[in-house]
Amino acid sequence: MSDPQYFAPDTVDEAVRLLSEHPGARPIAGGTDLVVATRGGRKELPEALVALHRLAELRDLGVEDDALRLSALVTQAQIAESEPIIGTWTALSDAARLVGSPATRATATIGGNLMNASPAQELGSPLLVHGAQVELLSTEGARTIGVDELWLGPGRTATSPGELLTKVVVPRPQPGSASAYLRLEYRQAMEIAVVGAAALLTVDGGQISQAAVALTAVAPTCILVEGVDELLADAPADAAPFDAAAELAAAQAQPISDVRASAEYRRAQVMVIVERALRMALRRAPDRVAA
Amino acid sequence: MSTVLGGRYQRPDGLGKVTGAARYAADLSVPGLAHACFLYAERPHARIVKLDTARARSLPGVLAILTHEDVPPVRYGMFVKDRTLFATDVVRFEGEIVAAVAAVTPELARTARSLIEVEYEPLDPILSAEAALEADSPLVHPDWEDYAIRDGVDRRANDGGHFTTVKGDVEQGFAEADVVLREIYRTDMSHAVPIEPHAILAEWRGESVTIHSTTQVPYPARSGVAETLQMPESRVRIVVPPLGGGFGGKCDFHFEAHVAALARAAGRPVRLVFSRREEFVATDKVRHPMVIELETGAKSDGTITARRARLVLDSGAYVGDALFAAEIGLMMVTGAYRIPHVHASAHTVYTNKTPAGSVRAPGGPQVCWAVEQHTDVLAAKLGLDPRELRLRNLVREGDTGPTGQRFDHNGAVECLERATEKAGWGKPLEEDEALGIACGWWFSLPVPSGAYVKLNGDGSGSIITGAQENGSGSVMALALLAAEELGMRPEDFSITYQDTDVGPWDLGSAGSQTTINNGRAVIAAATEVREQLLELASEELEASPSDLELVDGQVQVRGASSRAVSIATLAAKAHGGALLLGRGSGLPPAVPEHDLAGCVGRLGYSAFAAPSFYCHVARVRVDRATGVVRVLEMTAAHDFGRVLNPTGAEGQVEGGVVHGVGIALLEGTAFEDGHQRNPHLLDYKLQTGADAPPINVIFVDTKTPTGFPHDAKAVGEPPVVPPAAAVANAIAAAAGARVRRLPMTPERVWSAINGESA
Repeated sequence: MSDPQYFAPDTVDEAVRLLSEHPGARPIAGGTDLVVATRGGRKELPEALVALHRLAELRDLGVEDDALRLSALVTQAQIAESEPIIGTWTALSDAARLVGSPATRATATIGGNLMNASPAQELGSPLLVHGAQVELLSTEGARTIGVDELWLGPGRTATSPGELLTKVVVPRPQPGSASAYLRLEYRQAMEIAVVGAAALLTVDGGQISQAAVALTAVAPTCILVEGVDELLADAPADAAPFDAAAELAAAQAQPISDVRASAEYRRAQVMVIVERALRMALRRAPDRVAA
Repeated sequence: MSTVLGGRYQRPDGLGKVTGAARYAADLSVPGLAHACFLYAERPHARIVKLDTARARSLPGVLAILTHEDVPPVRYGMFVKDRTLFATDVVRFEGEIVAAVAAVTPELARTARSLIEVEYEPLDPILSAEAALEADSPLVHPDWEDYAIRDGVDRRANDGGHFTTVKGDVEQGFAEADVVLREIYRTDMSHAVPIEPHAILAEWRGESVTIHSTTQVPYPARSGVAETLQMPESRVRIVVPPLGGGFGGKCDFHFEAHVAALARAAGRPVRLVFSRREEFVATDKVRHPMVIELETGAKSDGTITARRARLVLDSGAYVGDALFAAEIGLMMVTGAYRIPHVHASAHTVYTNKTPAGSVRAPGGPQVCWAVEQHTDVLAAKLGLDPRELRLRNLVREGDTGPTGQRFDHNGAVECLERATEKAGWGKPLEEDEALGIACGWWFSLPVPSGAYVKLNGDGSGSIITGAQENGSGSVMALALLAAEELGMRPEDFSITYQDTDVGPWDLGSAGSQTTINNGRAVIAAATEVREQLLELASEELEASPSDLELVDGQVQVRGASSRAVSIATLAAKAHGGALLLGRGSGLPPAVPEHDLAGCVGRLGYSAFAAPSFYCHVARVRVDRATGVVRVLEMTAAHDFGRVLNPTGAEGQVEGGVVHGVGIALLEGTAFEDGHQRNPHLLDYKLQTGADAPPINVIFVDTKTPTGFPHDAKAVGEPPVVPPAAAVANAIAAAAGARVRRLPMTPERVWSAINGESA
């Protein structure tokens, strides 16, 4: 057993070069997953650590006309407290506010959260319903993929070993949109998702024009529920078949039984949480009532 | 009129604890310190066929490796001597210690541990207490009949302690009943979970060892070291740094001898610090999983005529101090109710699981949770309001307890009345909300204790005590009692404690006993000093000692405060002659008279001295779709006799309620094939600050003569007993479905709602 190598580069280019030179390396930002899991004996430390804390260029939180751009080191606390995110990408702030404790939120980053690829990560479903993309950088160059392509399973992503997640791009939703994220909570702080759901609705003159639902902690990754848009589009907002959307979600969930819940309970709770998330999104939609 | 008792007193050790200045056992370091770790069985039941430490020993930096071959072959145990320091031939639970390592760094110790070669032959694990009691069950301890026991222990195969209560004629009682209700309740294992894990540092000087330990019970820990390492107690000194909570999990003798033996073999001081996982898996003091069978007969007017009860405690691999939990649990099966005919039994069953024992109010919360739900179900069956049924059956002066002890005037009824009034019993509530009531009783434990009090030349005082502070603040508040006796201020006293070479023997922080027993000792010691002061002052003031009083830091002629001499002056004068020194112990109050005819296996909790009564009312909201329960408010009324320090007593009630709500809703260990599945704080869910409800604390001061100082009763444990029961009854009222398994997790509540409505 040798101690891992540790690097703290000053530029993103240097970070990417270090990652390519040390194939066993892992980037480390807040460390709230990697350090805690290693200290708890659930993970081994990687051969090398490339610390990102000096990379000021990865700290930007940019609210632009076309999209929200969250660089990799943006923290959960920033997402929870940002007024533009609360106003426009509400499911993200809902989710960030639920993560761990104040100390965790102040430290944990969006890049680390996404690359840890936990099916229980809070930001996953909100980013899915908002159609977010991630920018990946390596010595070979940059590429962009959708978050729906990023996760392959618990702890597994579609990135190559030398790639660094640098930015998350969340498109500005259509006018009339609202989103929400909810989770089943056994207690009121320091909780982890047993079942979570994000919903996004676009409502125009009291009629739903667009809808999306994603699920947390009931499949190997966070997943978008297929067929929700087809089911809800054109429905009147005050009589939309949210129960049918919830059934659709439950049918697509792949819950397991573990110490937190049985598969049967999880599947039943998908129905409850999805319907509640849709209702919460609808309550937030500015144009939910017919003119 | 007292100037200090009943006033608000802030404990002097608080600031250091909240600012991080306090140094706990794991913070201690000494030159040459080596680091320990244990190799655990990691399987519930197996025979060791090979144990080879040679490779581990050869690793540079490894200082010592110990197995059962390296310590005396002593079997120990408080009630049943069923255990050895290290596994000998057979391992009986996953956290059993097979070997211990000391090395120059913690990392190296763990590496060496991984090099110890052990081969096991798996044995069928015995994982169900009910199955273990069947006649054809394999035995956890095939040689159980050879183990030495404490007098009074009644054992059977796989049953480390069997008890019965027999009162009246239970058959006759059932014959008199108009209705009979029979139910079964089950509880899961839960844990003490102190925030500070166990830590021990042992250092030898010649043939003597000093052990800094996180124990709640330094003197029993000293006895355990002396017994297992076969050395005189006089060569063992236990010192306890500030303790970061215990909640019973640090009672009894634990790991001090392992670390002491390692330090001797290593020739270096050695420190052991538990991880959180070890705190769950290896700390052999968990709250018993229980099966609680209750059968009750009542007349149609609600009068309870008979109770039959059977408790099966899953006590894990070794008995330890578990028989307290069994006997106390047995005393709790009647609740605080007048029941003329009782037949009850308890079995403390061996299984291949984590050994159970003392956790704050051992045996209490589980049995109260079952009995008080049973009371509500009985009320429904009789068509009576749950409060009314309780009111008709709660004990009054002259009634008798389960073993025939006669009750004095007490606060049982007043607790119910005041708690239900404050909580708004009978008033309308929001949708999906409901109230639930739980009543009960607890004991005050009379045990020996001792203290010294001295006055120093500058007029300050010092208390030297064997009492152990485990976070409750009761040791800190001993200064109140000395100050009261001597007409001084509590802040005039320093307290020296938690060192077995310094203080007199004490049971430790267990059984809610510190204030009522060590308090007796401190008062007795202060009384000696008082008499010495009066003698000195009588010369000074030319008055008879009987005409003098101690008030506001001076001795004065009664009613004439101008004829006075300050205590500081007298103390300075004493330093030119006979010093002002007092010692106190005194006989503990007697346990009430009772009748054990027909009872089996009783060990000292067969009657409750100075019983403490309580009633909690929970207001909860149930989310019927998810089964998630939120406790919105708790009202807790307690008859503690006289409350000596309201700030401290309120803290005990609030802490007990939050702990109890955790037991109610989320705290439970899941087992799979003899392994704990959630030995960490992510999935063993404690209540957080965000979950803690507003708590209304009501003290019912009953002026009951108890034999303890100032008629005080036990405070530390009772508040954790009824919350789970009150929450359970509130859930049932709100959800229309009853959960007969503890903890009442969202999934269990949801299942009950769907099962009963389906």
